[in-house]
Amino acid sequence: MNRILLVGAALAGAAVPLGAQAAARPPAAPSLFAITNTTIVPVSGPRVAGGTVVIRNGKIEASGSGVATPSGATVIDGTGLFVYPGMIDSGDRMGLTEIGSVPGGQDTQELGQYNPHNAVLSAVNPSSVHVPITRANGVTSAITSAEGGMIQGWAALIDLAGWTPDEMAENGRVAMVMTYPSVRSGGRRGRGPNTGGDPAEAQSRQVRELYDYLREARAYNARPNPVSQNLPFAALGPALRGEVPVLFDVQTEGQIRGVLALADTFRLKVVLRGAADSWMLADTLAARKIPVIVGPLTATPNGDAPYDAIYAYPGVLAKAGVLIAFQTNDSGEGDARNLPYNAALATAYGLDPEEALRAVTINPARIWGVADRLGSIEPGKVANLFLTTGDPLDVRSQVREVFIRGQRMPWDDRHTTEYQKYRNRPKP
Amino acid sequence: MMRTGIFVLPLTAGILAAQTGPDTTRRSTMPVLKMEIPAAGTLVAVTNATIITASHGTIDKGTIIIRNGKIAALGKDLAVPAGAQVIDGTGKYVMPGIIDEHSHSSGEAINEGTRSVTAQVRMQDVLREDDISLYRQLAGGVTTINVLHGSANTIGGQNAVMKLRWGLPVDSMMFAGAPPGIKFALGENVRQTNGGNAPGRPQRYPRTRMGVEELLRESFTRAKEYQAEWKAYDDAKAQGHKGTKDFVEPIPPRKDLQLDALVEILEGKRLVHAHSYRSDEILMLLKVAKDFGFRIASLQHVLEGYKVADEIAAAGTGASTFADNWAYKLEAFDAIPYNAALMAERGVNVTINSDSDERARRLYQEAAKAMKYGGASEETAIRMITLNAAMQLGVDKMTGSIDIGKDADLAIFSGHPFAPTSRVEMTLIDGRVFFDRNKAPTLANLIEQLKRRARPNTTEGAQ
Repeated sequence: MNRILLVGAALAGAAVPLGAQAAARPPAAPSLFAITNTTIVPVSGPRVAGGTVVIRNGKIEASGSGVATPSGATVIDGTGLFVYPGMIDSGDRMGLTEIGSVPGGQDTQELGQYNPHNAVLSAVNPSSVHVPITRANGVTSAITSAEGGMIQGWAALIDLAGWTPDEMAENGRVAMVMTYPSVRSGGRRGRGPNTGGDPAEAQSRQVRELYDYLREARAYNARPNPVSQNLPFAALGPALRGEVPVLFDVQTEGQIRGVLALADTFRLKVVLRGAADSWMLADTLAARKIPVIVGPLTATPNGDAPYDAIYAYPGVLAKAGVLIAFQTNDSGEGDARNLPYNAALATAYGLDPEEALRAVTINPARIWGVADRLGSIEPGKVANLFLTTGDPLDVRSQVREVFIRGQRMPWDDRHTTEYQKYRNRPKP
Repeated sequence: MMRTGIFVLPLTAGILAAQTGPDTTRRSTMPVLKMEIPAAGTLVAVTNATIITASHGTIDKGTIIIRNGKIAALGKDLAVPAGAQVIDGTGKYVMPGIIDEHSHSSGEAINEGTRSVTAQVRMQDVLREDDISLYRQLAGGVTTINVLHGSANTIGGQNAVMKLRWGLPVDSMMFAGAPPGIKFALGENVRQTNGGNAPGRPQRYPRTRMGVEELLRESFTRAKEYQAEWKAYDDAKAQGHKGTKDFVEPIPPRKDLQLDALVEILEGKRLVHAHSYRSDEILMLLKVAKDFGFRIASLQHVLEGYKVADEIAAAGTGASTFADNWAYKLEAFDAIPYNAALMAERGVNVTINSDSDERARRLYQEAAKAMKYGGASEETAIRMITLNAAMQLGVDKMTGSIDIGKDADLAIFSGHPFAPTSRVEMTLIDGRVFFDRNKAPTLANLIEQLKRRARPNTTEGAQ
C-alpha cells in the first residue's frame, strides 16, 4: 500500500514526505523482556554496570541501573554479559543474492547504466539464509543496494528480521545510489562501469553523460505538469531537491573530486562509500560535512598506497572530523557478519576504539536519518540490540542473544543447525 | 583461487606461461619497495615479551636468543649475550611466524588449464620476487607460504613453498628442505561448469564428479605402469652389473615428467594438497588414495569436512580451510564457520588458510574465529596458522613453533594477536628482521610527506 502511494507521488512529480515510509511500518508484536544485572554499553553515554534493559512491544522502555523488572517480563540474566545496540552494515547486497555462482539467485545488477527508478527493496528475499546468519553476530540492520552501471536506484535500510520486505524496511528509499566514472576500467569487482577504448576519453564522455542526465532530470522535476511521465527522472526528484542523500560508490581521489563538483552543480546531499583515497581529502570532507562509509577493510590497498592504507584511512578521516560508518560490501559471500572485525582492523591502525563502535552503531543511524530510532540503547528507541560476552570488535566474543524490534531472535540459522546436526553424527 | 569465473584470465596466462615462459607484459608498474636487506647470522635477543610458543604454552616476560638464524635459547630470566641485537619485547606478544597453507601470491600464472592433468608444470617457474603482496603479507606476520597451482585441473601443477625474504631474489625465497608438493582439485572448478561453458570455449573432460574419479584412477594406473617399466629397467641394469657374460645394456623407458611427479606421489615423496568441497568427493579422493597406496597430505578448502571429520582423521589427512567464507558457489553453500573447530575436535590436523592476497594479511584474525565458532582453545587456534601448517607442509622440524633449534621465524605483535587493536610490529625470518613497522612506509608517513610538500615555503623559504 505504502509503496503504491510512493510511486503515485513520484508520478505526480511531488515531493515524497520522508516520514511516509515509517508511518506505514507494521506495529511490533507484543513483547516484554528484561535483561538484568548486565553491563549496558549504550554508545550514547557511559557504560552502566549492573544495569537492566526493559524491552516492551518492540521498544526500549527503560535502561540503566536501578531499573525495576516489570511483572510478566521474560527475564534474561545478563550476569557477566554486555548489551550493545545492534550494529548497522552500511553497504551490502543483503537479500539480493544467495549463492555467488548461481545466476538464478542474483538480483544485484540491472541492465543499463541509469536505473534511478529501481527500488532494491522489492528484490529483497526475506527468507534468504544470509539474514539470520548475519544477525547472529549482532548485525541487526543493513543498507542493501544494487551495483553496476552509473545510477543503481534506491538503497533500502532494512532490519534483519521480518516476514516481508516491507516488514524488514526501516526505510525502503533511504538513499539514491550512484557511482562516478573512473579512469581506471571497472569490471565486475571494480564498481565502476566498464569503459572500453581510451580510458580517459571514455571517462570524460561518461561524466558528460551523467551531467546531461541529471540536468534533464532536474528540468523534468521543475515542470509542474510534465506532458508524459518519466519514471527514472521522477525518481531523482527527492535527490535533486536535497531531501535524500545520494550515496556514491567511489574509490579514487579523482572520483571523489568529481563527486564534489557534481554535488556543487546539483546541490546534492552526498554520502561517499568505499572511498579508499578519501584520506587525501579528509579536511575538505570534514569542512563540507560529507560522511564517508568506509570499508571494506578486508581489501588490499589501491595501487602503490602504503601497506596499511586501507586499515588506517578510517582513523585519518575520524581524526579530521569526518563522520564515518563501516560497510562490508558483502556480495553474498558471507562477510556481512564480520562488520565489527572491519572496525577492529581500523582500531589496530589508529582509529579510536570508541569511535569504531560508534561507526557501526550511532554514526550510521545518523547518516541514514534514523538516529531517533536506532544506533544506541536509550528509552524510546527500537529494541535492536544484542547480548554478548565481551567487546563485539573482538572476534573471540560470543553473541548470546539478539533482539530485533523487541523480538527475541531464534538460534535456528543454517550454520548453527548444521553444526549441531553433524556434531552429533555417530562415529562411522 | 576459489571463485567462479576465475578460469578466463588464468587460463590465458597459463597458456602463455607454458608456451613462452613468464609473461612479462603483465608485470605491474609497482617498483620493488626499497628497503635494507637485513644481514644474516646476526646474534639477536627478543627480550621481556609474552611468547606464544604454539607447542608448549605461553611464556610471560620471556626472552628468545637467536644464533645463526635459529632459536638458540628460550625462557624466563635468560642473560642477553654480549653483542646481541636486542629487540625490546616489553608489552608485546611474540608468536611463530604465520604459515599460509594456501596461497597463489607472486604467481605470474596460476592455472595451466588446457588439460586436466598437468603434474609436470611447476609454480617455481613462474614466481616473481617483486609482487608487493609478499611484502604486505610479511607486514601481517606471515613468514612462509605454500604457493599452489590453481584448481582448474584434476591433477594440477607442482607447488612452491616460500619464505617471504622480501628484497632477496626469488630463488633465495624458496624454503630449502621443504618436501615437494602438488595440487589436486575436485568438484565445480575442475568440471568447469561455472562459466566454463561459455560459447566457443572448448569442452574438456571431465565434466562430472564421476569423471574426476575416473581420471584420477586412470592417471595413477598409468603412473604404476610407468613405475613398473622403470623398475624393470633398473632391475635389468642391476642384473647386468653382476657381470654376466651375455649382458645386453637395456634401453631405458621414455622419460615422462608428468608421470615422474605421479610416481613421486605413489612413493610418498610428493605431498598432495587437494582442493575439495563436498563430503562425497572428499571420501572419493581418500578412497582413491587408499587404493593406490598414498596419503593425501592436506584437503584444501574442505568446507564440508565437518561432515566426514572422522574419515579424514582416520586417513591421517590434514584439513586446510577458510575461517568462515561461504556461499560464493553452490559447493560452498553447506560451509559453516564451525568447520575448523569441529574437525579439530575429531582429531584432524586443521589449518586456516587465505587463498587470497587480502586474507593472508590478517590470518591471525581469521584463526581467532575457530575460538568463536566451536570453542577451539587459544593454542589450537594459534596452531591452525603455525605448527599445524608446518606439519601439513612437512616442515615442522624447521618452523611452525617457538622451540630451540627451529628457524627463528617470528611475528611480534603490539598486543595479543587475537585482540582487536593488535597489529604486527615486526616480522623475523631466520632471525632477520624483514618487516619493521617503525621503518616501514605507512599511511601516516605519507601524509606527513605530502603536508611538507604542500608547504614548501615554511622551511625552504626561510633559508
